[in-house]
Amino acid sequence: MNKFSWYEAKSVEDALEQVNSTVSDELYQSSENATIFKSGGVDVFDWVKEGLLKPQMIVNIRNIPGLDKISYDPKKGLRIGSNVTLAEIGSDPEIKNQYLALHQAVNHAATPQLRNVSTLGGNIAQRNRCWYFRSADHNCYRKGGDRCFARHSKTGENENHAILDNGSCVSVHASSIATALMAFNANVVIVNAEGKQKTVPMDDFFVSAGEDMAMENILQAKEIITEIVLPPPSKNTKSSYIKQVARESYDWSLADVAVVMEVSGNTCKSASIVLGAAAPVPYRSVEAQQAIENKTINSENATAAAKAAMAKARPLSKNDYKVPLFVSTITQTILDIS
Amino acid sequence: MEKKDQDPKSKSAKTISRRGFIRGAGLSTAGSVLLTSNVLALDYKEQPAVGAAFGPGTMTIKMKVNGTTKSLRVEPRTTLASALRDHLELTGTKVVCDRGACSACTVYLDGKPVNACMMSALDVGDKEVTTIEGIAKNGELHPVQAAFIEHDASQCGYCTPGMVMSCVHLLEHNPNPNLEDVKDATRGNLCRCGTYPHVFKATLAAAKKTI
Amino acid sequence: MDTRKEKFPYGIPGHNLGEVEREIPVEEPPVWPINDKLKVIGKRVARIDALEKVTGKAIYTSDIKLPGMLYAKMLRSNVPHATISSIDISKAKSLPGVHAIHLIENTPKEGEENSSNKYPMVKYVGQPLGGVAAESLEIAKDAISLITVNYEEKPFVVDMERAMEINAPIVFDTPITQRQDGGDVGETHDGSKGEGNVRGPSTSSFFGGPRGNLEEGFNEADVIVERTYRTQVHTHMPLETHGVVVDWNADAMTVYASTQNTAAVRNEMASIFNLPKSKVRVICDFMGGGFGAKHSAGSFGPMAGNLAKKTGRPVWLMLDRQEEHLAEGNRPNSMQYLKIGAKKDGTLTGIQQRSHGTAGVGLGAGVGRIAQILYPCPNFATEQYDVLTNAGPGAAWRAPGNVQGAFGLEQAIDEMAEKLNVDPLSYRDRIDPSEVRKVERQRGAELFGWSRRQAPGSSKGLVKKGLGVGQSTWPRFVTLDSSVEVKIHKGGGVEIRSSVQDIGTGTKTILAQVVAEELGLQVNDIKVNIGDTFFPVGPGSGGSVVTGSITPPTRNATFEAKTVLLKLVAKKWETDSSELFMADGQVSHKTNASLKMSFKEATQLMRTSQISKIASRSDDYGGFQQPWGLAYGDLGSVQFAEVSVNTDTGFVKVDRIVAAHSCGRPLNIGQLESQINGGVIQGVSYALYENRVMDIGTGHMMNANVHQYKVPLSMEIPEIETIIVEEYSGRSSTDAYGIGEPANIATAAAIANAVYNAIGVRLYEIPITPSSILKALGKVS
Repeated sequence: MNKFSWYEAKSVEDALEQVNSTVSDELYQSSENATIFKSGGVDVFDWVKEGLLKPQMIVNIRNIPGLDKISYDPKKGLRIGSNVTLAEIGSDPEIKNQYLALHQAVNHAATPQLRNVSTLGGNIAQRNRCWYFRSADHNCYRKGGDRCFARHSKTGENENHAILDNGSCVSVHASSIATALMAFNANVVIVNAEGKQKTVPMDDFFVSAGEDMAMENILQAKEIITEIVLPPPSKNTKSSYIKQVARESYDWSLADVAVVMEVSGNTCKSASIVLGAAAPVPYRSVEAQQAIENKTINSENATAAAKAAMAKARPLSKNDYKVPLFVSTITQTILDIS
Repeated sequence: MEKKDQDPKSKSAKTISRRGFIRGAGLSTAGSVLLTSNVLALDYKEQPAVGAAFGPGTMTIKMKVNGTTKSLRVEPRTTLASALRDHLELTGTKVVCDRGACSACTVYLDGKPVNACMMSALDVGDKEVTTIEGIAKNGELHPVQAAFIEHDASQCGYCTPGMVMSCVHLLEHNPNPNLEDVKDATRGNLCRCGTYPHVFKATLAAAKKTI
Repeated sequence: MDTRKEKFPYGIPGHNLGEVEREIPVEEPPVWPINDKLKVIGKRVARIDALEKVTGKAIYTSDIKLPGMLYAKMLRSNVPHATISSIDISKAKSLPGVHAIHLIENTPKEGEENSSNKYPMVKYVGQPLGGVAAESLEIAKDAISLITVNYEEKPFVVDMERAMEINAPIVFDTPITQRQDGGDVGETHDGSKGEGNVRGPSTSSFFGGPRGNLEEGFNEADVIVERTYRTQVHTHMPLETHGVVVDWNADAMTVYASTQNTAAVRNEMASIFNLPKSKVRVICDFMGGGFGAKHSAGSFGPMAGNLAKKTGRPVWLMLDRQEEHLAEGNRPNSMQYLKIGAKKDGTLTGIQQRSHGTAGVGLGAGVGRIAQILYPCPNFATEQYDVLTNAGPGAAWRAPGNVQGAFGLEQAIDEMAEKLNVDPLSYRDRIDPSEVRKVERQRGAELFGWSRRQAPGSSKGLVKKGLGVGQSTWPRFVTLDSSVEVKIHKGGGVEIRSSVQDIGTGTKTILAQVVAEELGLQVNDIKVNIGDTFFPVGPGSGGSVVTGSITPPTRNATFEAKTVLLKLVAKKWETDSSELFMADGQVSHKTNASLKMSFKEATQLMRTSQISKIASRSDDYGGFQQPWGLAYGDLGSVQFAEVSVNTDTGFVKVDRIVAAHSCGRPLNIGQLESQINGGVIQGVSYALYENRVMDIGTGHMMNANVHQYKVPLSMEIPEIETIIVEEYSGRSSTDAYGIGEPANIATAAAIANAVYNAIGVRLYEIPITPSSILKALGKVS
């Protein structure tokens, strides 16, 4: 890692005063004097170790008081501080009871060691894992370059890449926890330098590659995630989550699906269906939602919803297997609800 | 197969203007921070205090390791793994992938297993570090260590410290694990020699002894 | 020569155990009975260095810290093919904390492209160009990032099939020779023949050349199986990377090395730096895995030597994970055409093999000898071609060539059995004359429950189960240049010394067992000092040679030392030393029970402070197949695999492996199980997970790390059961052999056969992935 100084932030305001850039900005167009946040640090240190990010200063927000709480209220829902670790979320009994899909997604993420360090804020803000994007020798669109290596039909190694919304960058978002959070219609609470707070739905938090090549979420340099808020479930809310990985022990998703439903008996009243590792950002499948709403949850309807979700899929040269994989996974995740 | 509906370059106007603003705003802030850090780097500091800057040069910190408080000189970029191995000569903690993907560098931070390669020595703060060297107490092996010896749960041995750390932690929190629990506890530990079956066997055997 | 005749146990206990008479050198010890009559040999003896490993106290090369030591980092190319126009080190040189920079210079050979250039030509991404020594590793890395290399890039090719085309970019425009050192991929291939990037073919091995007449053989055949199989490149990824610490002072150069061959590293360093071998000491105490790639000083050894020379300080140089993947070895890929013919009764009439493989810029990408020797067949021919590409050089990788070869052959045999309408296991009974594999098939099939096997594709449901089998053979290689010194110290200590290293296989422990058995002592009474070239030269740890090469001289030297000691005791007791024996820590008399003396007491009779005996490996009793040390017999194995294939998602899981193996006289059951488990797991990984992903557009490896270079972790580990078949043949004083390579050969083939049994569609390429399964099932185009 390059030489950097370290700022131990005492508060959100203190931290915001120090930073001048984001990981995304620096990867897109590096500057001489970048000052960036780190919380758990797993993703930030990864970039610095690869030499792709050379911060002048790292502002440690990990020890800011007040960002490490989980609170649940049956009326107001669930609030998770951005510095809460994945291990803490994964072992929280209320989350397991009320937000099963989130519990499952968290416990399928990373390793026990990493879950003890990685924070929820850092997890949803991490950058994608495309191996070209992560390589110092491949200057792709995401780093201000002039091409996407992965999408190349003859040479692109794109087996892990996107099958939906892959018109420009074909990476897939690295956070499988975000898949579950979006399905629960979570909101991201962001504080800016003026001390103003905004609450952004997960659907609006992520930025598609077509909108802005440099970033995967709306976070600006002088903004910090303080909390993730999930609405309260009703007694008819059910959720499920499945992640398909090449290696069960520990791996990034090849296809993951979170389903949150309001049910009446065995009928789906409303559905929230989000796909991970399908597109450059977590992908809400409106088609699947519409296909299953007001239908009986059975194999036939679940398969129809899954196929609807894949109608717009445009696989690359080496990832067409993801289409049947998603059909199977969406079907199974829906069926797990009942 | 691939659609070409979006030209990323057409979006660049928005991107650049946003970036320009940020860069301008950043300059003054960074300048003041540098000054602070240089002053502090000369001072002796026990731990990074809140709201303060350190480095980028070396500073002396204190770290509680295996029950003893040690002083060491580190830079902010010094990883915990390097602090232990290169500065405190606790070389049982191994660096294999250097990216948090193999768990050979597993140590406990306040009792929780973490990857020492993926954090700064400054991340430790006042938390207590336990390394493989601190697992045997008063010369007496932990039952997991004894079982690893008995069941031949090491080959080249380079993953062994990390494996022992994962399995000891499991038993401290679940004295009666089953095979799936052991697999779950070691799911981040890479062993290229393929010693897993004996690691599982040893850990399950150790559990019986600790009950 | 003075010899005597002795009767040795011969055969397999519980099957055909008998005796064989051998003429053996008169100074060698009397025959050992089979294992159940021995005290320490063949038992579960705890690894003698396990305590250091489980407490973190074991010191590996990467852990060494010497006073004044500098840390070094290498400069490497980041383009696949280029000439270097300039290297600017000015900024790096002036960085505080940097002590020396060494750039690798061209050694021009007449007629070569680039012969006038100061720097060598770049042929692959990750090729070493130079190195920096600095006060810390971080500073050394900073310095590397400040060096600018200006390249004139040339067309390159990293894809093997593209490299075979007529108009492909040429990797080397001159004949090349195989590296004799670390480039050893286990097979010697000729790089001077051939056209373009395709070199060879190699058509013979030490088992001979082509046999019979293929055309006639296939004419005689009633059934033909003709297929092409493909295997991937995979890298070794030992947990400890390649590297050294060089401490060079006026007296000697000491090299701490993470190596499988201390003696070879010593020889290389002595030669490169023009030092007498007596002044180069290579030490390897604990070593974090090699799997075949660590037989040489590589480029990092000389680099650390040069930096130590320039700075006058010890230099630490361990590679990082990316460097390890890019430049320090891999198993070449293969594209194997295989045609086998058989008569209706199953008799093989012809085997034809033609393979292409790429070891990058290296040679030796063959598919081994397994098709030549596993099943007798009168008509056989192989052509094995090397294809040069702009990628890191291959290196020996656990059973080089044969793992690739077995994947093809054992699937073809399976397919032949099906065409002949015979059970694949029964078919092997018919065509395989090996007694040991016959026993392995019987015992394995029973433990595995082979009778459960159903017709291919007949498993019901979404997740289909399949059972498969694969066989292997590996030669019994002996390194004759294998010596040890055994010392009995006055007052009781026993010590063994050799340069042979323990790479995690348990060599230290088996040596202690052999000495302890011979002296009637406990394993913990023996101090094993190995991995140091100041001691007698031992074998390199490769080819499964160590056990068979070093345990006989160990026993022989111990026996000679024991004889001296017993003579001293005999003198005191006024009897003949042939009347005495050692057991349970005591010297006793065979007929006079009142004569007893502890081992320690006996050593007090010594007039010198030690008895020291050095022994070297003698020829096998009854000689060798080849005088350089190709022994008679083989190391046979049969592995059974049970898999589940999810036909909806394409995921394959290996549920269970039964691995039946032989290694002559087994020495340590626990350690043998460990190695078999490891070989099986690496085979599972080869079949389903790991793969070097190269971007053919840029020539870079995309997964040169641990997180994207996928190998199995805890959840992927099948239930593994091992069967170790004792097989005695009376060939040496221990009659023991290794297990390293055999453990790894049959697994991928057994898994592929099991996958076929599950889904009824055969996959001819590994790794088998969800994508390949879904394609095979016609679920994607």
